[in-house]
Amino acid sequence: MMTEHDKGVPTGRRRAGRMPAARRDPAGGTASGPGSPGLSRRRLLQAALVGAGGIALGGSLAGCATEPAAGKGKTSVTVWDLFTGSDGANMQKMVSAVSKANTDLYVDSVTLAWGAPYYTKLAMASSGGGKPPEAAIMHMSRLAGYAPGGLLEPFDLDALAALGVRKEDFTPAVWQKAQFDGQLYALPLDTHPYISFFNPAVAEAAGLTVTDGKLAISGADDFLDAGRAMAKATGDTGVSFGYLRDAASCWRMFWGLYNQTGGGYELTPGRSAQLDEKAATGVFEFLQEMLDGKIAARDQDGGAAEGRFMTKRTGMFFSGEWELPTLQSALPDVSAMPMPTIFGTPATYADSHSFVLPKQSSPDPEKRAATYRVLAGLIKQGLTWAHAGHIPAYQPIVSSDAYQDLTPQKIYAPAAETAVFDPNVWFTGAGSDFQNRIGDSMAETLSGKATPKTAVDRMLSEMNRFLSQPNPA
Amino acid sequence: MTVSSTSTAPASARANASRRAPGSRTAGAARTARRKTMRERDRSGYVFVAPFAIATGLFLLWPTIYGLWMSFTNQSLTGTKSSFIGLDNYIEALGDPQVWQTLWHTVVFTLLSVIPLVIVSLGMALLVHTGLPGQWVWRMSFFAPFLLTSAVVASLSSWLFQPEIGLFDVWLSKVNLGPVGWLSDENVAMYSIVLVTVWWTVGFNFLLFLAALQGIPHTLYEAATIDGAGGWRRLFSITIPQLRNITAVIVVLQILGSLKVFDQIYLLTGGGPNGSTRPILEYIYDAGFTNYRLGYASAISYVFFALILVFTLIRLVPTRKES
Repeated sequence: MMTEHDKGVPTGRRRAGRMPAARRDPAGGTASGPGSPGLSRRRLLQAALVGAGGIALGGSLAGCATEPAAGKGKTSVTVWDLFTGSDGANMQKMVSAVSKANTDLYVDSVTLAWGAPYYTKLAMASSGGGKPPEAAIMHMSRLAGYAPGGLLEPFDLDALAALGVRKEDFTPAVWQKAQFDGQLYALPLDTHPYISFFNPAVAEAAGLTVTDGKLAISGADDFLDAGRAMAKATGDTGVSFGYLRDAASCWRMFWGLYNQTGGGYELTPGRSAQLDEKAATGVFEFLQEMLDGKIAARDQDGGAAEGRFMTKRTGMFFSGEWELPTLQSALPDVSAMPMPTIFGTPATYADSHSFVLPKQSSPDPEKRAATYRVLAGLIKQGLTWAHAGHIPAYQPIVSSDAYQDLTPQKIYAPAAETAVFDPNVWFTGAGSDFQNRIGDSMAETLSGKATPKTAVDRMLSEMNRFLSQPNPA
Repeated sequence: MTVSSTSTAPASARANASRRAPGSRTAGAARTARRKTMRERDRSGYVFVAPFAIATGLFLLWPTIYGLWMSFTNQSLTGTKSSFIGLDNYIEALGDPQVWQTLWHTVVFTLLSVIPLVIVSLGMALLVHTGLPGQWVWRMSFFAPFLLTSAVVASLSSWLFQPEIGLFDVWLSKVNLGPVGWLSDENVAMYSIVLVTVWWTVGFNFLLFLAALQGIPHTLYEAATIDGAGGWRRLFSITIPQLRNITAVIVVLQILGSLKVFDQIYLLTGGGPNGSTRPILEYIYDAGFTNYRLGYASAISYVFFALILVFTLIRLVPTRKES
């Protein structure tokens, strides 16, 4: 590269002159002078070494800091989670409540960013090479990819029962979902459905009937009419649905509505995907009709959709119930209900946060016992968790008076009973490449740039691609 | 690494040039003496390169070799037992339409980005070099974006590109244009990413061009002026030809840089809409880290590596002949 700069100099001379010139720099210092440049370099190196040593020392000290914090005689239990925002704040409250109740335990709560990388880290930590946490939060939808691969350990039901956590304390649907090979692999913390928030004031202005706290809507036409009425009431659009650059939202919306149609599916690795294509096309036709720019804005992302709802420019907002605290800060009387039944059968897309036990390379019975106590304690803190919008999985909390006093939580809590999860295959689930790819392939159809059939075709071809891949676990 | 080594290249070249000026033909005897001391010091040289050599070995050479081995296995990130499967991964990769599709996206990005990154930076360097007042302001403002990290650039630009409330759409709506699906329209998203990338990284090429411009001997311009050459004539007959070599360097560096595209696309569109911007490196990342198939991901990396190698060889052979 250097030679290319000085074309003007004759080649022979350049070759001869260049090498020593380039080398003279480093060697010249010590050789020529009475040592001053050389000395300064040595000093610099020494200083650098001392500095680096200091940093390394500081780093190792910082690394030790967590263990002494556990206190003498305390058993430390590390729990990974992916909760930020109000979820994170509530989880910290629950952790400190459990710590207070168990003075001999130290709960080391580690929050990692949610998304595909969370599951990459969890898999790497659990795969023998890393040091896995004693327990971790996992979306129930990811269980199918984790449990069969031997990354997790099953729960001991007797140990759980001794702590007051039994099968009867959970809804059958969620308990069933947490099983693999006849054993419990996930301890459910909540069900978090994709619901519809609404602004009662806008609904009233639009002349919509509210029964038992829910908007009385059934069927596509009824819903679209309600949307138009709310658009009239707000003077803007009626419904907020943000899907641009948000593959997960596209997928949640589609999969929930598809399950309302009663259309079945078959996703068996090694075979081609089976969907009720007519039903799937119908879902996209409905969504296109809703996203007409009048009922709902055509090109919206999650932030814009939420912003419109909070500034009363729409009356309804499709989102996860975890947005509740945020919405309540702007609209204190915001209400919410399960997904309206558009296609006949009530169904609401949902997932579930649950605790799992990553496989330990050297299991420590004492730590394991402590872990059970921490997890049972956290599950029973479900009322705090309900303030974040989630529906506690531990039923004694849901049936408690305290929970039944929470609105709008108690209005949408029945969504847990009609919850539909991701298809039960290894590659699906929250933060998976599957959700990302399928959701991404739908966006064009939702924005009206492609036909409903295109979305269905693309979806099938993505599903087939995943079905043809080997399961890496 | 590339950054530091290339940024010093023009500077040291200039240093060589000045040192070689009158009197650089020192006596041969002195040179042999110096060579002898050099040889004595050879051993201490190893100590000095050791830190770098160890780091290179640990973090570059070993992973490269290990990756090659992995590409012949069905190694999974989940640590399940892996076995040697021969060329299966390569056969799958060569027949995987996603590999070719994402490779094509990388090539498109490279074509779309290299041209403006070279031309715009040259234009900026020429403007600054003509002696605009307030040199440091220009230099700083053209170079400053390059100092930002990809995450900052992605956050800033995703606000600008935001549908409805983003600055670009707001501006366009003032003149009754748009909205444009900056990151959500399959036909637009790649251009938006190129736009951001040009703004972000053009400063580095600008700096290289500016350094090269300042290295052109003034005598050439003086002689040309005396001969009656005007500004344009000097530009096309002296400046541009003198920049030939640095331009070649910049083009090669830029092509290699653009082929490595990942960060800004991953952060801005995640490869969407409908996979229209997903570069091959993101596919490799997804295959390995999201779908846990490390062996397959390694195989795709090696296919990509081989293609770049072939390209480099084709490109290098004629250059070497020239020089």
